[in-house]
Amino acid sequence: MSRVKMPPQIYRIVLLTVAIIISYLIARRLLTPPSFHQYGFFRGEALAEHASHTPVFAGRKACLECHDEIQARLFKGEHKTIGCETCHGPASAHVTDPDSEAKKPDKRNTTACVRCHEANPTRPVTQKQINLKNHYSGQKCVECHVPHQPNEVP
Amino acid sequence: MKNSVTRRSMLASLGGAVASLMSLAAARTAKAAVQKVFVTTSAPKDYDPHAHKWLMCLDVDKCIGCGLCVDACKTENHVPQGPTFFRTWIERYIIKKPKPGSGEARGEVVVDSPNGGRDGFPPTLVPREEILKSFFVPKLCNLCEHSPCVQVCPVGATFDSPDGAVLVDPKYCIGCGFCIQACPYGCRFLNPETKTAEKCTLCYHRITRGLKPACVEICPTEARIFGDLKNPVEHDPIQAFIQKNKVNSLKPHLGTNPRVMYANLDKEVR
Repeated sequence: MSRVKMPPQIYRIVLLTVAIIISYLIARRLLTPPSFHQYGFFRGEALAEHASHTPVFAGRKACLECHDEIQARLFKGEHKTIGCETCHGPASAHVTDPDSEAKKPDKRNTTACVRCHEANPTRPVTQKQINLKNHYSGQKCVECHVPHQPNEVP
Repeated sequence: MKNSVTRRSMLASLGGAVASLMSLAAARTAKAAVQKVFVTTSAPKDYDPHAHKWLMCLDVDKCIGCGLCVDACKTENHVPQGPTFFRTWIERYIIKKPKPGSGEARGEVVVDSPNGGRDGFPPTLVPREEILKSFFVPKLCNLCEHSPCVQVCPVGATFDSPDGAVLVDPKYCIGCGFCIQACPYGCRFLNPETKTAEKCTLCYHRITRGLKPACVEICPTEARIFGDLKNPVEHDPIQAFIQKNKVNSLKPHLGTNPRVMYANLDKEVR
């Protein structure tokens, strides 16, 4: 029985294939970031990068830590669901550096009230709305209303 | 004949090359591990993505269209200015009365979102007496269970985080824009500065610090509810929301299975 001789080109093809696979494995090993399979099929460090931004809004809890005298009044009235920064603007800089005058959030003017209370047919009927033109025009809202406690009269 | 390259030396140098490449990879892994311990990033360290499942729910009936959430989102996330770049926005739906004798239940539907609702909504051009009903719908990433944006990304830059957020890895994103076309809710845009796709991250830097997303923090009427499904608190807002309301999701027929739930959603909302 004569042995079937493997042609040399087959050997070369097999060797080449093995070499390609090995170099692919090495390249993949080198190019894949270490955190790639940490949480799933993505770079795990991306989560930390997203989380590393600095918040601009501090949150109501941070405000009420110092301004607790407002809390008692605010929670009595209809404005209890409103966050402090809704009207006063972002306060993160003020929370980290409370003494700086420049970083204090602004006291809002009439536009803050009108933003929610101007009459608009799309607004839910439960929302209290005014028509700016015939609602004591020329006067400031706070002359008659207390923003922190809207059911009270100043 | 003397050959300077022998089989033995050839194999030895090849093996050396492979070994050095392997040690390079090992060195990089070690460096990453060291970095994790010593380099201080401002990212919170004790946050475990597997221990949370975040969800936002929206009550259409409570939205008053003030647009402060849109403004807060732009401020918080440094979203580019301009009327096409929004991570969240508000749409105004106006359903007109049907024409008399038309036999229709409802008339024409007018939808607008001037500057995403960021400056509030000016009184509509449709006169009040022609309106059958009208409402505001806040929109954001719907946090799909089967996200089309994740499926189409050719470089794997978009992914589902274990805590429920669908995020973009800006270092992988090549800005091809497939995901922007694939999102059936129009929640993505191409950032003109970084040239990468951007979307709502549920304010990932806030929720990992125990804060609410900026839009939820700012909403004056609690139209936006946010919570953690894996760690329900006492009187959990999400549980109460689902218990109290008939909830629905946007475009359920697409099979994307959005996790974001809407209460009091009208059939005209798309």
